[in-house]
Amino acid sequence: MRTFLRATIGSARISTIIYWRFFNWTGFALRFLSPLLSLSVAWILYNVVYHQSTSTSFKGAANSSDYFSFVVVGSAFFVYVVSTLFTLGRVMYWDRAQGVLETIFLTPSSVLGYISGRMLSAFSMATVDLLVLFGIGYALGFHVTSFNAPVFFASIGLMVASLFGLGLIVNSITLIFRDRVNTANTLTTLILVFSGVVAPLRLMPDWAQRVGAVIPFTYAINLLRASLLSTESGSVNYGDLWYLVGLTSVFLLAGHALLIATVKTVRKQALYSHI
Amino acid sequence: MSFFRVVKAELHKYYVQQFVSYRTAFWFLVLPFGNGLLYYSMYLPFTSTVVQFSWLGHNALVDIVGFTLLGQLLYTFFVGVTLAGSAFDTERVQGTFEAMLLTPASRVAILLGGLVVATAQYLWLIVGIIPVFLFYFHLGIAVADPLALLLSLFLTYTALTALGLCLEAFFIQTRKGILLGTTLQEPVALASGVIVPPSAYPTQIALLTYLIPLTLGLISVRLTLLAGGMLSEVLVPLATLAETIAKANGSLALF
Repeated sequence: MRTFLRATIGSARISTIIYWRFFNWTGFALRFLSPLLSLSVAWILYNVVYHQSTSTSFKGAANSSDYFSFVVVGSAFFVYVVSTLFTLGRVMYWDRAQGVLETIFLTPSSVLGYISGRMLSAFSMATVDLLVLFGIGYALGFHVTSFNAPVFFASIGLMVASLFGLGLIVNSITLIFRDRVNTANTLTTLILVFSGVVAPLRLMPDWAQRVGAVIPFTYAINLLRASLLSTESGSVNYGDLWYLVGLTSVFLLAGHALLIATVKTVRKQALYSHI
Repeated sequence: MSFFRVVKAELHKYYVQQFVSYRTAFWFLVLPFGNGLLYYSMYLPFTSTVVQFSWLGHNALVDIVGFTLLGQLLYTFFVGVTLAGSAFDTERVQGTFEAMLLTPASRVAILLGGLVVATAQYLWLIVGIIPVFLFYFHLGIAVADPLALLLSLFLTYTALTALGLCLEAFFIQTRKGILLGTTLQEPVALASGVIVPPSAYPTQIALLTYLIPLTLGLISVRLTLLAGGMLSEVLVPLATLAETIAKANGSLALF
């Protein structure tokens, strides 16, 4: 356990130092282009085009008529998905490109600890993005109407755990298939469209709802919204919580199994070389 | 060296390297399809399923399916030409850029070849997405003046191609072509009316958005294909697009 914790902290520390060493404001600003586009479109549609006239089906699905706040919460927490896919999902890929993967595997430290540290670092950076987006949202009219602390923190914890599992799966895919961006790009698009980030999944076609039902982020974002935006009591759907627990377990188990298999394959077949 | 042989050679090179690749499928099929669904879904929480947009006193009500689909179709073409515009960056990274410029091949033919590739990659989108929107989402088409529609499509795509040629010529001056090409995407999507009509903006800002050829193209194609617009209603945007093409060709002579 002590080795695991030391590996986790060491890995997180190094990753954070490297992030700040190569930090540049242009890159930081560019990260916000896509979420800012969603926020701008939502603000214009809600306030200018449709003059805040949301449908009853939206109010029923979201327990609120405030569409802009609905999108702010979705877009803000989506930064963790981007971080999972583009940072955590490519940890070993980039370490191999830098030529340090073999060295890491030669140490007696825990591989799970090493990748957990990267996750801690990546999610800490994503939290900065989250706060910036909430700040922009507040400036444009985002309102928190309730705060259900147990549901909020349980959702955050489960969301992070499920995304960690997804990150482990993507990490194996990018490493084995030597795929730099395609998996991350595709999954980012799929999760953005089918998890209800900008519209309740219930309003989308049946087939889209079926796709969204197997994405843990869908349930996490439902619960986070219920804990922050509800205008009615009893609006938390505890079924979402159980689905999230179940899917998180599946993703964590699958991710861990794939991590072990990947490490074994890399060692056996000497896949350390970037070329 | 024949002009068209250079264009053909560029086309052949990109076809072999990129046409059947997941990267192309992502940019020209997965992403537009995902974005189309995403922006369509952003209209679902509201009471109305139509969008109103105005152009020089003409008002039109368009169904959100057609509005979103046409937005994505033209926007993807724009993304394609901006990505083609950054192709010289790739050549420079590969170390082949100098050799390319040392050949007697026409520079304009090389640029045009890249643009033809962007158009060819667009086939992924045409084949993959239009049938889905047409039959599954029941796209409502209302064409009253076929000539106006044909002119709108022709001038829009030609203006975007001309814009792509200019971007290629501009990006070559910098080592940040890919960065610029990527950075342009979201602001242009918002300003040009791909997702929301420019008439939603204050008048002064809306006037500025008309400087983007994509804005004018979207207005004329949406009006003529979805709202039964006549040639007289889209004459101004079409004339402006034609002027853009002429200016772009003129500026290329300096390259």
